[in-house]
Amino acid sequence: MAHKNKINRQKRIAPYLFLLPNLSIFIVFIVAPALYGVYYSFTDYDGLNKAKFIGLENYIEIFGDMKFWLIFKQTGIYAAIVVPGIFLFALGVALLLIQKIKFKPVFRAAIYWPTMISFVVVGVTWKWIFGDSFGVLNYLIELMGREGIPWLTDPFFARMTVVIATLWCRVGFYMVIFMAGLQNIPLQYYEAARIDGATKVLAFRYITLPLLKPTSVMVIMLCIIDSFKAYPLIVSLTGGGPGKTTTYLVQYIYRYGFEKSKLGYASAMSVLLFAVIAIITAIQFRSKKEDM
Amino acid sequence: MKKFISLLMMLVLVLSLAACGAKEDTKETIKTDSTDGTVEETTTDVQEEPEDVVLDFLWFSDGVETQVMEEIMENYKEENPHVSFNLIEVAFDDLDAKLKTMIAGGNAPALARITNPGLLFNQSIDIAPALGGYDAVTSQYMDSLKPYYSKDGKVYGVPMDVTANGMIYNKSLFAEAGVEVPASSSDIWTWDEFEVAIQTVVDKTDAKYGLLWDFSPHRWSTLMYEFGGQFINDEGTKATVNSPEAIAALQYFVDLHKKGIIPESIWLGGENPNNLFRSGTAAAHVSGNWMVSSYRDIEAFDWGVTYMPIAKNRASVPGGKYLMAFKESDVEEEATKFIGYFMSKENTGKYCSESFFLSPRLDNADLSYEFGGEMFTIFSDELANTPQSAASDWSKQDIIPVVYSDIKEAIVEAILGSMTPEEAFNDLADTINGAIEDK
Amino acid sequence: MKKLSNSSIYIVLTFVSILMLIPVLWIILSSFKSGMDLYEWPPRLIPKTFSLDNYKAAFSQGNFLLYFGNSLFVTIASTALTLLINSMAGFALAKYKFKGRQFIFIVFISTLMIPLEVIMIPIFTIISRLGLYNSFLGLIIPPAATPTGLFLIRQFLLSVPDSILEAARIDGASEWEIYWKLILPIAKPVISVLAIFSFMWRWNDFLWPLIVISDPKKYTVQLAISNFIGEFNVDWNSLIAMSVLTMIPVLIVFILFQKNFVQGMVTSGMKD
Repeated sequence: MAHKNKINRQKRIAPYLFLLPNLSIFIVFIVAPALYGVYYSFTDYDGLNKAKFIGLENYIEIFGDMKFWLIFKQTGIYAAIVVPGIFLFALGVALLLIQKIKFKPVFRAAIYWPTMISFVVVGVTWKWIFGDSFGVLNYLIELMGREGIPWLTDPFFARMTVVIATLWCRVGFYMVIFMAGLQNIPLQYYEAARIDGATKVLAFRYITLPLLKPTSVMVIMLCIIDSFKAYPLIVSLTGGGPGKTTTYLVQYIYRYGFEKSKLGYASAMSVLLFAVIAIITAIQFRSKKEDM
Repeated sequence: MKKFISLLMMLVLVLSLAACGAKEDTKETIKTDSTDGTVEETTTDVQEEPEDVVLDFLWFSDGVETQVMEEIMENYKEENPHVSFNLIEVAFDDLDAKLKTMIAGGNAPALARITNPGLLFNQSIDIAPALGGYDAVTSQYMDSLKPYYSKDGKVYGVPMDVTANGMIYNKSLFAEAGVEVPASSSDIWTWDEFEVAIQTVVDKTDAKYGLLWDFSPHRWSTLMYEFGGQFINDEGTKATVNSPEAIAALQYFVDLHKKGIIPESIWLGGENPNNLFRSGTAAAHVSGNWMVSSYRDIEAFDWGVTYMPIAKNRASVPGGKYLMAFKESDVEEEATKFIGYFMSKENTGKYCSESFFLSPRLDNADLSYEFGGEMFTIFSDELANTPQSAASDWSKQDIIPVVYSDIKEAIVEAILGSMTPEEAFNDLADTINGAIEDK
Repeated sequence: MKKLSNSSIYIVLTFVSILMLIPVLWIILSSFKSGMDLYEWPPRLIPKTFSLDNYKAAFSQGNFLLYFGNSLFVTIASTALTLLINSMAGFALAKYKFKGRQFIFIVFISTLMIPLEVIMIPIFTIISRLGLYNSFLGLIIPPAATPTGLFLIRQFLLSVPDSILEAARIDGASEWEIYWKLILPIAKPVISVLAIFSFMWRWNDFLWPLIVISDPKKYTVQLAISNFIGEFNVDWNSLIAMSVLTMIPVLIVFILFQKNFVQGMVTSGMKD
């Protein structure tokens, strides 16, 4: 009886102890600064001089700021394209890579490699490839007799370029996550299905997909958050241009905070950004609740 | 796997202990801000000698000027052995953020190489008292620079170099096409004549590009001043960027793009004009004297500096960097002393001539350069023929830096065609007026 | 039938791999183009002359061995810390029912949504107050609590049957023993994934070193590379050479660890 009590007691406090290191670092280095940030959003802080409390002024200004909402919409569209793109691409490749084929390590390394490169280098490289007058792609196109495409000069193409570069350097990451998730599915299920005469497609639909749900949900959540936070890659590729056409939220906020010395306003925008992502994630969370 | 983690943990433990021990050799200062704005500080010296001082110097590097500054610091150290420098180099784009985090976090650097001193007046030291007084200091430098680094009788830093915008051109291509550039300042070409010249060069050679123009409001404004425009009125109370002159300048700039004389890929695609010029396929490049040092290593073709074409009048735009010392760095006195050292005719002269910069000191007018001397003469001449409106605008550092990206955007929108020049600049005028109000 | 579908898989994977690798190849080959060759037009993939000039120039401009060493130290230490604390926290959130469970999970995930750039100043203030300014610990500890890592481990562990844990408890195992001896081995695949990711994240960290470090002797490799970017001039030659070198450790770690999350996958998956 005493033994059982001991187990129960341990079981009760164990989770808190396990959580403690991680939680304390979060709170000290992320949550606390974030709360500071929230405080700034109610002031006119410029990053240098003393902050003065101005209440909801920043938020009111944001609601009327057409530029902000334009950037917001742009970011949303970017996310809406990139997230399904990455999801399908990564899942597809992961599925292919668990088949019985050779050279898997080579393929895995090749597809994962782009994720390992720092964003500055990625941006620079793609600029070389997609550069209008000085880019490899246009050079090849012109060799073939056609006219070069304004990859970075035209808003439409610039957005396309940004999506392509994003896919290129993020797919490997999610592929690896999917692979870890796929490998979690017990083999016996597939065996049983095979014995029962199920086709690969059916096996995929009724075994793989459902059992992959926790992983899928995580991939989608991370991907959405990632795309709303997209910044270094895009800045080194297009600088947010031409004009503002590939400027997304974090770049806009960062610009306001530091270039315009309006850290209070930037913080308010960040709070809004946070709220939006939180709502989207919460909705996702709720809809898959049983398996979460 | 377990063994691996245990091994890693041991490694972490050992190494962190080692790191802890090797942490900081310099002074440790703990600051606390109280709500009424006073700052309490307790300083403990970790080292034995209380006299030794380390000056944190926030810096970015464009080329050889870093080595030159390091030499100057070495020389200073020889005369002042208790002083050593910690050159904190960061990318140019990150300097602002780094500086602000350092200051806000209570770790202000001793010195920094600053582009926009005006925004930092509250955080920097007034060096006038220590270095001879306002008049003594400012009289040593070009008059037009005064508003950049001083205000209300106080001096917040000193100019390190002054930059001038101007025209660099590909001599080989011009020679091949048989086109001549103005021989002297009394012979300057108009924009119409210039257009013809560029078009000829492009037609008669295998040049791909006519005129390259840096993707920068600072460089673009050269055109505006030539047309007689200005961003803000002299008093700084109202935006004047939507005047007919400024709009005409923008319209002309857009036309140059439309005619294909300026490639769209720079202002719209972010293409780096330096790379384009280096490839030898561009006839000319509107940039500034800082490129002299950078283009020095070009071997594939001959290049030189010539005069900017004239519109209503000639213009260049003064720029440059400033050396500032910061409050609450704990080493204010030593930092100020170094500024005094750098300020001298000899040291500023050395810095500028060896880095291929123009000197802001009046007594450095005859600086000799190892290379490109005749080019600097032209740049200086451009500066000397600049309307006062240029310095008036760019010295308004509590407004211009704030609307810098807005100016960029307005010009881009006009080139893109999503707005007419008039619309773009009317919009910009509103933004600038808003910034003036917010001040 | 089997052969055909297999070869189409090969074709697709090879095509994708080539697409992924072309830009990488470009970077690597370009690092061997010296001086003006880098700006050559028309561009060529393979350098006219293979030259190590860029590498020599980069090394002469800064103490890159030192920077590599710094990066390596910080990355390994932080990764070790991450693996430990993330797995503990992920385990707690996945396999225990306790008050505040959902709330804490949401707090963790929400920290993901905060872009670091925006809270740079408050972070620095806290780092400074804790005496971590200019210290490696400031680079090792704060980023170690990765929300993504925690998320990964939690999702993975959700599928571990509770019965295994209960059985261990009945056998007299303490909670720590369950974690250490039971859970960790099971979680080997996902921990390997996290090791790879964490190494990559810390190795490529730029913002943390920018904020925390001001002593050039403590610069990490990424910070040092960014210094090649001036206002008007970018020293592409050095930048590219160093960037190529920085790719290597991350690649090595990936190659070393990838067999771990693949074990058991050799025979899993769908067969004909």
